[in-house]
Amino acid sequence: MKTRVPLVLLGLAALGLPFVLHEVYYQRVAALVVLAAISASAWNLVGGYAGQVSVGHAMFFGSGAYGALLAYTVLGWPPIAGAPFGIAAALLLAVVVGLPTFRLQGHYFSMATIAAAELIAIAVGNWKLVGGAAGLMGPAAPRSIADLSFRSPLPYYYIFLLVLTILLLITARIERSRLGFYLRAIRGGERAARSLGVPAVRTKLAALLVSAGFTALAGSLYAVMIGFVDPESGLGLLVSVQMVIIAALGGAGTLWGPLIGAATLIPLEETTNAFFGGSGTGATFVVYGAIIVLISRFLPGGIAELWQLVRSRRRLRAA
Amino acid sequence: MTLSRRTVLVAPALALPAILRVSAAHAAAAVRIGAIFPLTGAMASAGDAIRSGVELLVDLINTANPNLAPIPLMATAGLPRLGGAKVEIVFADGQNSPAVAQSDALRLITQQHVVALTGAYQSGNTLTASAVSERYGIPFVNGESVATNLTTRGYKWFFRTTPIGPDIAKLYLDFLASVQKSGMKTSKIALVHDTSEYGVSVADTIKKAAAERKTPVALDVAYTNGTSDVSAQVLKLKQAAPDAAIFISYTSDAILFMKTMHVQNYKPPILIGDDSGFSDPSFITTVGSLAQGVLDRSAFVPGKPGSNAAKINALYKKKTGRELDDTTARSMTGLLVLCDAINRAGSTKPDAIRAALGATDLMPAQLFIGYKGIKFNAQGQNILASALMVQLDGTEYQAVWPSDQASAKLVLPFKGWT
Amino acid sequence: MILVQLVADGLLLGAVYALLSSGLTLIWGMMNVVNFAHGDFVMLAMYIAFVAVTFLHVGPAVFVPLAALMLFGLGVGVYFALIRHVMRGPMLAQILSTFGLGILLRYMVFWVFSANFVSLPNRMAGGVLAIAGLRLQDSRLLAGLMALLLTVGLHLMLTRTAFGSRLLAVAEDRTAAMLVGIRPDAMQALAWGIGAACAGVAGALIALFFYISPLVGDSLVLIAFVTVCLGGFGSIPGALVAGLAIGVIESLSAWFIGAAWQDVVVFALFLLALWLRPQGLMGKA
Repeated sequence: MKTRVPLVLLGLAALGLPFVLHEVYYQRVAALVVLAAISASAWNLVGGYAGQVSVGHAMFFGSGAYGALLAYTVLGWPPIAGAPFGIAAALLLAVVVGLPTFRLQGHYFSMATIAAAELIAIAVGNWKLVGGAAGLMGPAAPRSIADLSFRSPLPYYYIFLLVLTILLLITARIERSRLGFYLRAIRGGERAARSLGVPAVRTKLAALLVSAGFTALAGSLYAVMIGFVDPESGLGLLVSVQMVIIAALGGAGTLWGPLIGAATLIPLEETTNAFFGGSGTGATFVVYGAIIVLISRFLPGGIAELWQLVRSRRRLRAA
Repeated sequence: MTLSRRTVLVAPALALPAILRVSAAHAAAAVRIGAIFPLTGAMASAGDAIRSGVELLVDLINTANPNLAPIPLMATAGLPRLGGAKVEIVFADGQNSPAVAQSDALRLITQQHVVALTGAYQSGNTLTASAVSERYGIPFVNGESVATNLTTRGYKWFFRTTPIGPDIAKLYLDFLASVQKSGMKTSKIALVHDTSEYGVSVADTIKKAAAERKTPVALDVAYTNGTSDVSAQVLKLKQAAPDAAIFISYTSDAILFMKTMHVQNYKPPILIGDDSGFSDPSFITTVGSLAQGVLDRSAFVPGKPGSNAAKINALYKKKTGRELDDTTARSMTGLLVLCDAINRAGSTKPDAIRAALGATDLMPAQLFIGYKGIKFNAQGQNILASALMVQLDGTEYQAVWPSDQASAKLVLPFKGWT
Repeated sequence: MILVQLVADGLLLGAVYALLSSGLTLIWGMMNVVNFAHGDFVMLAMYIAFVAVTFLHVGPAVFVPLAALMLFGLGVGVYFALIRHVMRGPMLAQILSTFGLGILLRYMVFWVFSANFVSLPNRMAGGVLAIAGLRLQDSRLLAGLMALLLTVGLHLMLTRTAFGSRLLAVAEDRTAAMLVGIRPDAMQALAWGIGAACAGVAGALIALFFYISPLVGDSLVLIAFVTVCLGGFGSIPGALVAGLAIGVIESLSAWFIGAAWQDVVVFALFLLALWLRPQGLMGKA
């Protein structure tokens, strides 16, 4: 029971955050933090818990984003109604790309996922039917509430928060389930795990399916909020890399790592851009790069490691 | 515990922009305009040039420059109808990301309290950023993005001064037709374009217009922006031997194409570059010596000494050491139109500015760019936007067509290198 | 005839990829660290060449060794300041640190030189060798030759020298290597230095015929990663073969299918190759 108290506090803080952040812009940053936390948490299932470092999750994110905006441009539906299509496409991709790719180890797996995602990004860019290089646009003006086109970032914030909560609950469930043990066993050493009877491929695929589905949902939500997607912003390498960076920065393979990473990196990006962006010197990314280097240098396990450091020190003192 | 840690993580992000606002607050009387351009990332070279141009223009508006008198706002210091209020630009970096450009727009409007926006170069960035200004009822004047759909969204607050796809296609085909009349064959056209939104949209409009004139494009070579080699593409051109080749390329690829054509010793009789890469000042500094006589679509030429354009170009050169390029001149024109409208509105109220923008009617003599004037239609598109053909001679582009605007004689075939 | 020219162009492009990946293979293979800043190392070398030509008016005979030397120093420095500490951490920490380092380097150069494209004077690209209807640029031939030399040199260094065996020993088993008196830190710092020096040679040579900008590493290096992976983890001859193969495939697919699809072809064939041979073309299973 004791562990529940901070959780409840965190939940209340998240719900109440907008009441502290009066400025719309900060509310938007908060919404972007939660959105980034969704995709990074989804990535974490495969990249963190199972240790299969995918650098191609943009293909799932893009599926979701394109699914949403295709539903609008082709069928005239509200974009969010296209999310199921996007998720279905992502699940299909997960099977088609995942099954053969899971045979690969370590960096080979990462490179294969990059190649698969880049291949899809270029193909979509050359394919007029899905918008080609120009990309797809959401409704220019909201036709009804179902278009989820709001001036205030708050509705987005709460929708994203709901999705993130569900995802974290599922992740926590998985963490404690047999699947969770299997995943960690695979991360520890796949050969050993296999010899202990862990069905490696089936386990990894299960994790990838959940991961791909939620990443696609994040993509749909992104498209609904931003109202635009093109191959670069939906399927580009940087989209994948950002998920990896956020999860790794916060602490991959931990429940709260991706959230911590998102709550660090997104405000960092926004602040450096707000501060230095206008200067035209590139200082934005000098600061950004330097901070990433420093964190990886001193906290190779991510910021979540700080927490463990503090805890172990406290334990030492208590002993 | 949990609460405080969260606060610690978020707090710096909240505090920093607040500090920015305080430092800017003393200039209360100034008219603040937000400018979103790609200042980092793959498009930063263009964004950097534009930034200098915008700074120059604002300096000229804020000081009295009677020698530039025909251009609005030049003779007086500041905006006369607003009691000489100074214009203050708040720059933001849209990077190469539509989401970032959108965040920028929101930040500029709600935190920096800008009265209007300009930018954002890439059509995708302009699209998402202007969606925010539309929701907030803040005027947005774009001077350089060419995607047609920007002005077909039914937006009330979006205005665009630059010529777009169909204008460009018409220019090329009219130009080639006129060259054909002079006795040089121009019926076999090749298009070389990257697969970016810009490359594809311009190429498609040209293809469509050419097909309508019964001179369909003979060869269409598409490639990916930022490619590491273009030898095969040049070989394709060499084998097809078109009468005219039109390149729709960003700077990096434009440079690579010139270097590779030099290696393959291939010169199309007429080589046309579609602005962007070929207008970038670094195109001239890097491969100008291989590209003598290259034709370029442009709305800006320095022209005769004493003209508005020549004076502005001289000032820009003094500030940056480079020639003023077409894209920058178009962006500057967008901003000039916006400032002129704010001045005529005599107020910084959005509705007043919007009404003034709608009533804009500028003559060619009031501009430093080759448009036939500035006048917006109901969609916010400038109907008098136009461009001309310029040709590289030494390190400068000279206007060569249409002949009534020409400052030098058209020299064909393409000379390239010696 | 066109076909021959296409293959020749493809081979020269492939040599560039091989050149780009030589240092990457060494670091990747010997230490199991993917250096995401490799493209930015190459970019730095290009700017070293640019500065040397512009301000010191020297030729490639000076600026290529200069770039190699400076990058060697950078590699060793980066190893001690950063890599040593993240190497024993999870693979993600390595990705994070080298990715961050890449951004840092890129935008420091951006700050100093601005985003503008620059280029060495066109005469430095050398003449064009025209034989039997083929047109080959001198500087590209030089780059190809150097790719070959570097590959052979690195391969011999690893397989024929005491230094190489020590390096391999550290890669195989760090603790065991220490027990027989090898100082792993010194070995790996040297390997990083040599890897970075290869990037230096590559960048300085490519600068002869390519444009230079702070973000140039981006456009060059993704295919180099594919090259290393396709060649087989740590196999230096493999990277050469893979590089040449990718160059020819790109050139031919640009001609027959269209340049807009050439990367799709490369990535598709790469995936196919990996699925058939998960350890790369010449990698050990």
